[in-house]
Parts: sequence; structure tokens; C-alpha cells
Amino acid sequence: MGCALATLWASPAAAQTDLKLFSADAFELSGDLRFVAVDGEKSWTEGDAFGKLRSGSDGELRVQPQLGNVSIVWKPQFTWSFGATVVGSIQGGQRTEAGLSQAYLTFKPMRGSKLAFSARAGLMWPPISLEHEGADWHVGDSITPSAINSWIGEEVRPVAAEATLATDLGEHKLRATAALMAANDTSGTLLTFRGWALHDRTTLAFRRQPLPPLEDPVEYYQAPYTHPLLDVGPGFAHRPGYYAKIAWQPPVPVRVELFRYDNRADPEAVNEDLEWGWRTWFDNISVVADLGSGAELKAQAMQGRTRMGTAETGERWINNRFRSAFLLLTRPFGRFGLSARLDLFDTRNRGSDVREEYDDKGWSAMLAAKREWGRFTGLVELLHVSSRREDREEAGLDARQHQTQLQAELRMRW
Amino acid sequence: MGRNILFALALAGAASPLSAAPLSVRVVDATGRPVRDAVVTLYPSGSAGRPARAGGRFVVSQKDLQFHPFLTIVPVGADVSFPNLDPTKHHVYSFSTAKKFELKLFAKDQSRTVHFDKAGVVALGCNIHDQMSAFIVITDSAWTSRTNPQGLVTFDAPNAPARLTVWHPYLRGPGGQFQQMVGPAQRNASFQVRLRPPPAMPMQDY
Repeated sequence: MGCALATLWASPAAAQTDLKLFSADAFELSGDLRFVAVDGEKSWTEGDAFGKLRSGSDGELRVQPQLGNVSIVWKPQFTWSFGATVVGSIQGGQRTEAGLSQAYLTFKPMRGSKLAFSARAGLMWPPISLEHEGADWHVGDSITPSAINSWIGEEVRPVAAEATLATDLGEHKLRATAALMAANDTSGTLLTFRGWALHDRTTLAFRRQPLPPLEDPVEYYQAPYTHPLLDVGPGFAHRPGYYAKIAWQPPVPVRVELFRYDNRADPEAVNEDLEWGWRTWFDNISVVADLGSGAELKAQAMQGRTRMGTAETGERWINNRFRSAFLLLTRPFGRFGLSARLDLFDTRNRGSDVREEYDDKGWSAMLAAKREWGRFTGLVELLHVSSRREDREEAGLDARQHQTQLQAELRMRW
Repeated sequence: MGRNILFALALAGAASPLSAAPLSVRVVDATGRPVRDAVVTLYPSGSAGRPARAGGRFVVSQKDLQFHPFLTIVPVGADVSFPNLDPTKHHVYSFSTAKKFELKLFAKDQSRTVHFDKAGVVALGCNIHDQMSAFIVITDSAWTSRTNPQGLVTFDAPNAPARLTVWHPYLRGPGGQFQQMVGPAQRNASFQVRLRPPPAMPMQDY
């Protein structure tokens, strides 16, 4: 990337001619309005709650119109190969927020006949999700993403410098990505204290997310919230993490992707607000299979581990092994599209302070239909989630909770 | 449009001073199923050969992050414009020896034109969207056409020995092409080719 940027600076005349900062095509606007009918428990987004969906209830069926997500994307072009992507978002519902979603520089020089290079640097989601599309990172086939990609949207969005090389080896296509990253030290906090969730509400930069009620002794040393975009400890990027990905497309209609993430955070680092470094790593495998007639099978499986605190008795306060997987089947019918997804998820806590009572185990099933009318897309989605965690009992709830949500959404794009 | 013009060019071959008769060419895959959109070209030997009418204007647009059409046949000397009908920018390129070019970022409703002055096959790509792919066949023979869904193409061929070639974007073979000789009285010819599967599912790009 350094060589490429040096080349860029070496030709300022060429650079000036392609400068487009505020032309009309540098902006995109997207947004959605939705009706939500949901039963079951209160949403985690309201704080002091365990509900796994973006909206929740008091047990009775609750129906309400809602502003979903509105995003404005600015894509200035400094030269034909060097640009930026900045995304500002408003997220409606039970806790309306506005802020910065992504902000990164892009560099994509002309590819060679054998090799293509590209790079990004800034605040951005790593290339993991098979469900999200576009700079506004909207969900393509449904309204609600899987548990895996909901968590990516919440807690895995570092400040990173990323480079990608793509090439063809005979009839095989290969793409390799590697990145150094920082400001993602608290990743794993929500996944441990709340567990997995399914929603399309992402964490905006510098915003915090509420945690469910914490038990003794955790409540004395952990803040009741988390800032997912945070470097805990002195200085910026003093202990950078990394992620890497290899994607392979053989000469059959299947694509396989392997992804590795390790934030390399110091699990004993803590700031004055009682937010800790969480040493979190995970592996993710993704498979996409073309089934013919436009039908696709998408699958992701993730497993990882997050640890926090000191190891006074040989085990850190928190030692959470987490895993999840989903299968998503999509099939177009002209301007209509149908999707069905099955999700499985669990966490297994064996730290000295956080143990089985925080374990989260559950499943979810989703059916969605969509239709496109030019700039508009209509979606209807039925989602059911069932999960069990014992710490709900401390809040007077049953450990096992079931929740069903029906959403109808109108998406617009300019 | 390109297909119509080339059909017209092929039909014009019937007015050759040499007598002409139909030559039917069938292209099938390894299992015997017809192959559509294979480009078949006849090169009659000696004075019977005739280049395609040079020049003309053709269009390969970009819409829904794809090139349209996927396959275009043009004569040597053609001008092909590349209008962008997508809301996003495209960066069209070719590394093919028949025509190397690069159309740096151009936005919706903008267009660029490239002059093709050499026979051959040009593979098109977009530097921004790796899934975009298309082909332009630049022909120097008046007898060039693509197979129909039944894998057939018919020429009014001059009564002379000729070289017959077939090309397909996914044909397994040197340069994606096979050839055979046909005699002056021959009325049928066939090719059995092996095809690789078309690339599916673009690699995700951010």
C-alpha cells in the first residue's frame, strides 16, 4: 500500500483531474420504514434486558411503526484510483441514535493481467458477512441478519489498514486479505453478558451499548455498558490486532472463505470507566453455493473465544467460548425473492467469575419475502428465536424465552 | 444490432461471383447437448474469401453491474461505445492482445467509445466490479455468426474450400477455439467441444 500511495503522490497532475468531492454521484441515500409486531421479552437495546431482537415487548404482542435505518454515503474520489467512503446513519426504534457508521480510504489501482491489488484504511467492517451489501451495509435478502453477522455489526468494526490481492490460478480464483487493526479491545463484552442477538442495529462510532443486569462480583468491576470502538490502555494501537481472509472459488459454482480475527487485546487492561480489554479471537468459514435458477445456499460457521480479567486461580475472570452457524437459502422469482434461514448459537463460560449461569444457547428460524420496484424494495419477514440462559432468572424471568417477530419494511434508495 | 448486421453480411455473401450454397454448422458439448452463443467463422480460401464490411457503431452498456450484451460480434474497424446505465461508476478494461484499453472511472449516463482495428477476441472487465465480464469478437470474415439455442448456425457459403473456426468464452482449448477444414461441396459440419462452467458468484468486494 505504501508503494501505491507513493506512486499516487508522484503524479499530482493526474491526481487533480479526477478530483470529485461533491458531485451528485458522490452521494447515496438509503432508508427504511417498517411495521414491527413482536411478542416476548424486552429488547436488550433498552438496557437492563436480555431480549435478542431489535424490538421487544412485555410479553404481549406489540405492534408499532418504526424508523429503521437511514444512511447517507459520501464517496469522494481524489484520483481515479484513490477515494474514500464515509457513512453517517440514523437508527430508529426504541433507542434512536445518529452517528458515524464507517469512514475509510480506498485505493484500487488498475489491476494487472494476473494480479489485482486493493486497499482500505479507516473505520470499517471486516469482510466477513455474506448477508450485508453496499457501503450502507444493509442486509440484502432479509431485514434481520443472522446471529453471527448481527454480532459483527455490534462488536467487530475496528480501525484497520487492510490490503487485498486477487488472482486467477488456471480456473481457480483466489483472493487474500490481511489487515492490522486497533480500537476493538472491548469486542466480546456484549457477546458474554448478553449473549447472541439477531437484529440490524449496528454500533455507531463512539456510541455505547447497554449491558443486561450484571451479577456479583462482575457488577463491581465492569461498567454497565460497552464502547465497541475503543482502545483500552495507553496510546493508540499500542497492541494492534489482525484479521486475515482467504477466498477460493474453484471451477464449480461454490465459493469458500476462511476468516481469522484476533484483536490481541490485553485482558488485564482497564480504563477509568471500568471498560476492559477482552482478548478475543475467532475463526469463520463461509460457503456460497449456486444451486441454479438463481437459487443460492449461503452458510457461515464461527467459533472463537474471549477472555478478560486476571488469572488469580489459574483461570481468568471471564473465559467464554462462543460458536454459531447458519444456513440461508435464497431463490429469486422474477422481481420477487424468497429466503429461509436457520440459526444455531451458544456460548460456554468457564471463567473464575463468569460461569454456566451466563451460558447462552438457542436457535432461530426466519422466512422472508421481498419485491423490488426500482428504487423501492418491500420486505416481509417472520422470525422466531428461542434461547436459554440462567441469568435471566436473577431478573425474575424464565431462563428459556421464545420470541416471534413479524416485520414489514419499505426500503428506499437514491 | 451486431447480430443483425452480421447476418446481413453473411447473407451478402450469397451475392458472391462464386456460386453459394448453405453450410449448416452444429456445435454440441461433450454430452451432445447444443451449445448456444458459440461464435462460428468461415474463412473461404483464395479469392472466395471476403472480409466483413468494415466499421459500424455498436453498444455494450453497463447495467445492474453487468455488461449487456455478454457477447458482441463486430467487424474490424467498428466503434463500440460503453454507456454506463448504473448508478455507480465503472472502470472498463481489456488486457486482450486484439485491443488493450482502459476506460477510467465514468459515472451514470456517461459513455466512452473504443475503436477496434484488429481481428480477435477482447475480454472485457471492470476494475471496480470483478464480477463483470463480457466478450467482443472482432471478425475479419464476412461469414461470422453465433449459434442459436439449438447450437446451429447456417451460412450461404461460397463453393470453395474453407477453414471453419468455433470460439466460445468457456471452451476448453487453446485460445478457446477449435478449427476444421470444410470442402467446397460440404453442406454440414459439426464441432463437439468441452466447456468449463461459467464463473459463478463474484468474490465479495468492499
